[in-house]
Amino acid sequence: MEKTKIILKAEQARRIKILKKILFYLLMTIGMIIVVFPTIYMFSGSLMTLGQIFSTPIRLWPSEFHFENYREVFVRFDLHRYFFNSTLVAIAVIALNVFFCPLVGYSLAKFRFPGRELLFLFILSTMMIPFDVIVIPLFLVIHRFGWVDSYQAVIIPQAMTAFGIFLMRQFIRGTPDDYIDAARIDGCKEFQIFYRIIFPLSMPAITTLVILSFVATWNSFLWPLIVLTSDAKKTLPIALARFLSLYSQEWNLLMAASVIASGPVLILFAFLNKHFIEGMSGLSGLK
Amino acid sequence: MKIWKRYSKREVIYGLIFASPAIIFFGAFYIFPIFRAFQISFYKWDILGTPSYTGLGNFKRLLTLGEFYQSLRASLYYAFGTAVPIWFLAMGFALAFNNKFRFNTSYLVIFYIPVVIPLIVWTILWRLMYHPSYGLLTFVTKPLGLVNIPWLTSSKLAMPSIIILSIWKGTPAYMIIYLAGLTSIPKEYIEAAQIDRATKFQTFRYIIVPLLKPVILYVVIISVIIAFQIFDPFYAMTAGGPGSTTRVVPLFVYQSAFHHLKMGIASAASIIFFSMILILSFILLKVFGFEREE
Repeated sequence: MEKTKIILKAEQARRIKILKKILFYLLMTIGMIIVVFPTIYMFSGSLMTLGQIFSTPIRLWPSEFHFENYREVFVRFDLHRYFFNSTLVAIAVIALNVFFCPLVGYSLAKFRFPGRELLFLFILSTMMIPFDVIVIPLFLVIHRFGWVDSYQAVIIPQAMTAFGIFLMRQFIRGTPDDYIDAARIDGCKEFQIFYRIIFPLSMPAITTLVILSFVATWNSFLWPLIVLTSDAKKTLPIALARFLSLYSQEWNLLMAASVIASGPVLILFAFLNKHFIEGMSGLSGLK
Repeated sequence: MKIWKRYSKREVIYGLIFASPAIIFFGAFYIFPIFRAFQISFYKWDILGTPSYTGLGNFKRLLTLGEFYQSLRASLYYAFGTAVPIWFLAMGFALAFNNKFRFNTSYLVIFYIPVVIPLIVWTILWRLMYHPSYGLLTFVTKPLGLVNIPWLTSSKLAMPSIIILSIWKGTPAYMIIYLAGLTSIPKEYIEAAQIDRATKFQTFRYIIVPLLKPVILYVVIISVIIAFQIFDPFYAMTAGGPGSTTRVVPLFVYQSAFHHLKMGIASAASIIFFSMILILSFILLKVFGFEREE
């Protein structure tokens, strides 16, 4: 009698456990559906005709794939031009960041000079400044340089980030001094030590830096909106916003353009998602 | 000079050479603009002509202007309406993801997609989804008997609609930060609590929360500061409307400066806004800094 009771009880506990597990997966899956649905809709909508999109009841999946939407987006919207602009800006910003952030990080990590900690604090404190406050004077600076409506107007103010420098400094601090000293004894020049020793050893942090600066640049909106005035120089996000007001009825094309604008980040994310997530878990600039 | 003896000449010279790009860069693009912003806020200036000094005129005008108050209110509504739900949702998901379960990483990667795709893409997509008769959301609302909801065109619903988009995009971003904190808590602490028969809630309240304090504080403050600066959806979804119910301060500054060419007014507005954010961050720091333990 006692024995069956215990067995029954154990059975009950097991069932509750399974039920809890099912509930957990169910909730997680619902959460996932809410998250993924707009993404899937973006892809499926980009392959529909307008008639399919504006049908009732609403279609979630096209009956046949209309890839010609993608062709039309390039032919009618000149999407390749904006894609080129965005790519150019992104590559330049990444290159500048990959050079300057490790260099400054190295200086702040390994050289002792008066005012070093103050300088570090000063760089970090710029992260607290809201962009709205500096946007007008920054525009005036760019205006003074005669850079309005040029690529460098977008590129140069993003050449370094406080977070990038912070990231590199923290990483380089962990590099043993012995490597540096050994190279110096072997007659390496100071700058050679940087690019022969420090730079290769910092590759894990530099990968994160590349990802972060790519995402930030590729997605940036307000600043390019202000300094890029002619159509020929616009980056993808600005062009997308313009399409939205010009072609607000052509949903399939808007979605095709959106897919293309998200493409590079999505592809990179598919391959390097671990780096993305690790890099961004320590990041404040999540907009 | 005694002080110089503590440093090696080589380190000082090369340290400064290597750091100099940052000194120039942050000086030119951050520090100089901050001072300029203060200066401009005392002038009346349309960028083309010569600026004329008005003293505190711009500030006085803003503070007597109903429009600016409305912007401040819209910003406060948006920032806290977005950040507060995110604090709790992100924590909930972080706790869920902190469990070991099947496909943990796959779920996490999918969950993170909204964060990496440009905000302007989501702005476009959600604007289409919010369409009263053909938007994707009718798929959910129609069975509930709600048709033709004016998501973005009603002055009551426009802000909540943008808030929903922002919560949706923001939650995974902050969840990851919590999760990084959670995984750094030693397993022994949790196990010890379980041996002492602490309930799940007790473990959370008395073990996890105190250990996670710095992370929670960081998320609470950063999420509010960042929400105050969001611009894209207000520009491309509602353009501040209907009326000016969604004209948050960043949009107000942008429009005053680059549409109406009122540089002084825009600068003054940004400075008032900056001070408000600083004060609010300080208050949050006090409230969520918890009392210092003995």
